[in-house]
Amino acid sequence: MLVWFLPLFLLFLMVGLPVFFGLLAAPGILLWLNGQEKDITLLYRNVYNGMDSFPLMAIPFFMLAGEMMNRGGITRRLVEFSQACVGHFKGGLAQVNILSSMLFAGLSGSAVADTSALGSMLIPAMEKEGYTRKFAAAVTAASSVIGPIIPPSGIMIIYAYVMGESVAALFLAGIVPGILVGIGLMSVTRYLAGSSDFPTSRPRASWGEKGQASLKAFFPLLTPVIILGGILIGVMTPTEASAVAVFYAFLVSIFILREMTLKDLPDVLTKAALTSSVVLLLVGAAMAFKTVVSLSHAPETLAAFILSLSENPLILLLLINLLLFIVGMFLDAGPAIIILGPILGPIFVDLGVHPVHFAIIMSVNLTVGLATPPMGLVLFVASSVSGEKVESIARAILPFLAVEIFVIFLITYVPAISLFVPTYFGFIN
Amino acid sequence: MPILLTPAHVLATVNGAALALGRHISVVLMALMVVVILVQVFFRYVMGNALPWPDEAARFMMLWLTGLIAPTAYRRGGFVAIDMVLLMLPRALGAIISMLLLVIALVVLVVAVQIGWSEVTGFGGRFKTAALWIPTDLAFTEWFRVPRSWMMASLFVGVTMMASVTVELIIRQIITLLGHGDALPVIPESATIGSE
Repeated sequence: MLVWFLPLFLLFLMVGLPVFFGLLAAPGILLWLNGQEKDITLLYRNVYNGMDSFPLMAIPFFMLAGEMMNRGGITRRLVEFSQACVGHFKGGLAQVNILSSMLFAGLSGSAVADTSALGSMLIPAMEKEGYTRKFAAAVTAASSVIGPIIPPSGIMIIYAYVMGESVAALFLAGIVPGILVGIGLMSVTRYLAGSSDFPTSRPRASWGEKGQASLKAFFPLLTPVIILGGILIGVMTPTEASAVAVFYAFLVSIFILREMTLKDLPDVLTKAALTSSVVLLLVGAAMAFKTVVSLSHAPETLAAFILSLSENPLILLLLINLLLFIVGMFLDAGPAIIILGPILGPIFVDLGVHPVHFAIIMSVNLTVGLATPPMGLVLFVASSVSGEKVESIARAILPFLAVEIFVIFLITYVPAISLFVPTYFGFIN
Repeated sequence: MPILLTPAHVLATVNGAALALGRHISVVLMALMVVVILVQVFFRYVMGNALPWPDEAARFMMLWLTGLIAPTAYRRGGFVAIDMVLLMLPRALGAIISMLLLVIALVVLVVAVQIGWSEVTGFGGRFKTAALWIPTDLAFTEWFRVPRSWMMASLFVGVTMMASVTVELIIRQIITLLGHGDALPVIPESATIGSE
C-alpha cells in the first residue's frame, strides 16, 4: 500500500500543493492509513536531521555571496569585460549576454539571479541597438541556465547532499558541460547573425580598452578561482570556501567596487536568508520523503518497470532524458532533483553509469528545463524583466533550446565530458 | 463577515509582528554564521588550532535561521508549487481547491507541532550538544552546556509559526470566497523562491 505515496504525491503536486507539504503529506497519510503512526515521528525527525548538515550550509553562503556581488555592481563590470572580448562580433550584444552569463555562473549558482541581473541591464541595451525584445529576452533566459551548471551551483550542492556524492566532484564535473552550453549558444547566435538582420557589430576594442575592462573585472573574476582553488588544493571544504566567498564578496562590493554600502547589508542578508530557508526546508522534507521511498520498495518496483522497457543502458538513458525533460517543463530543478534523484540514481548506477555522470545528466537536463515552456522559471523571470509575453519568449528561445538539448545528448553519451576534470584532479576514480 | 474580519486582522497583526521579529533575528544569525565559519578557517589554518565549536554553532544558527524566516517566505507565497492547474480552473473551483490545499497544509503543520513539542520535551532533547557551552556568570567562570532541545526547538518554532500563518491564510481565503477580499490587510507577495 505504501507504494501509493508516489501517485498521491504527484496528485498533490499537480493540484498546486506546495512541494514542501506534498513531500510530507503524501507519505504521512499512507503511513497513517497503514497503521504506522510511529513512522510519522520518524518523518519529522528526518526533516530536522536532513537540515542539520554542515555541507548544506554552503547553500546560504553561496546565495549570500551571489546577492552581495550582484548588489555590489559586479554585473556591469562583467558585461564591460565581455563587451571588450566579443562585442565586435556580428550580433555582438547577444554574444556579450552569453559570455557574461558564463562569467556570472562562476560567481553565482543561480539562473534566476543571472536572468534578473543581466536581463535588466542587457535587454534594454539590446533593444536600443535594434534587436527585438523577445530575442533579447530569449538569449538572456537561454544563457542563464549555465548559472547552475558552472560551479558554484545550488542545485549541485542539493544533489550531492541528497545522494551522498562529493560536492567538489560535482562542481568540477559541471565545468566542461557549462562551457559547452555557452559555446553552443554562441554558435547558434553566430549562425542566426549570419542569416538574420542582426545589428552591425561595434568596432573591436583596443588593447587599452581590453586591459581596462579586465582590470575592472579582475576582482570579481577572482571569486571562482578562490572557491575552486580552495577546494581543489584541499585547504577548504566547499562550505568553508563558500563562507570565504561571502567575505571576499563583502570586501569587493564595499571597498573595491564601492556600489554597495553597509546600509544595504540587512536587505542583502534578508534576501539570502529567505531563499536559503525555503531551500533548506525543502531538502529536509526530501530527506524525510527519501526514507519512505526506501520503506515502500518503490525504487525496486520502478527499476523493474524501467528495466522491462529495455536492458540497454544507452536506450534507457535516452528514455530517462525524455522523462527528465518533461518533468523539467513543469517542475523547478531543485525539487525535481530532490524527488527523482533517490529514485532514479540507484537504478542507473546499478546499470553501470557513474554516479557523478548521472548527476550531471540529471542536473543539466533539469536546469535546461528552467528555460522550457510552459512552466520554465527563467522564462517567467525574463518576461517580468523585459515586459515581453512568456509565449513570445518561448518561441524565440527554440533555436537555443535545440542546441541545449544537443549538449544534453553529448553529455549523456560521452561520459568523459563530465568525468574528465574531476578524474584529473583525483576527486573520482 | 465582521466576525471573521476581526480574527483576520488580529492574526495579521500578531503574525506580522512575530515574523518581522523572526526576520530581524535571522539576519543577525546569517551574518554570525559567516563569522563563525571564518573563525573556524582562521584558527585551523592560520593558528593551527582547530576549534571544537564553530561547526555545531553554525548549524545551530542555520536551523534557527530557517525556523524563523521560512514562515515569512510561506506567508508571502514563496514556497515552490505548481499553480498551473489552479490558474486554469474556473475561479470559484480554483478558490475551493486552494482552500482544501491550505487545510492539508494545516493538518501537516498541526501534526508537526505535536511531534515537535514531544521531541523537544522528550528523551532526545535532554542530551547535550557536543561542543556548545554558554557562560552563566559575567566572570566566565561558570559554564552551561547547551542541551539539544534548544537546537531542536528551531523546527518546532518554525512549524508553529507556519501553522499560525496557515490559519490566517484560511480565514483570508474564506473572506475572499465570500467576496470581501478588499477589506483584508495586504500581505506583501514575493516570487516563488528556490535554489535555481
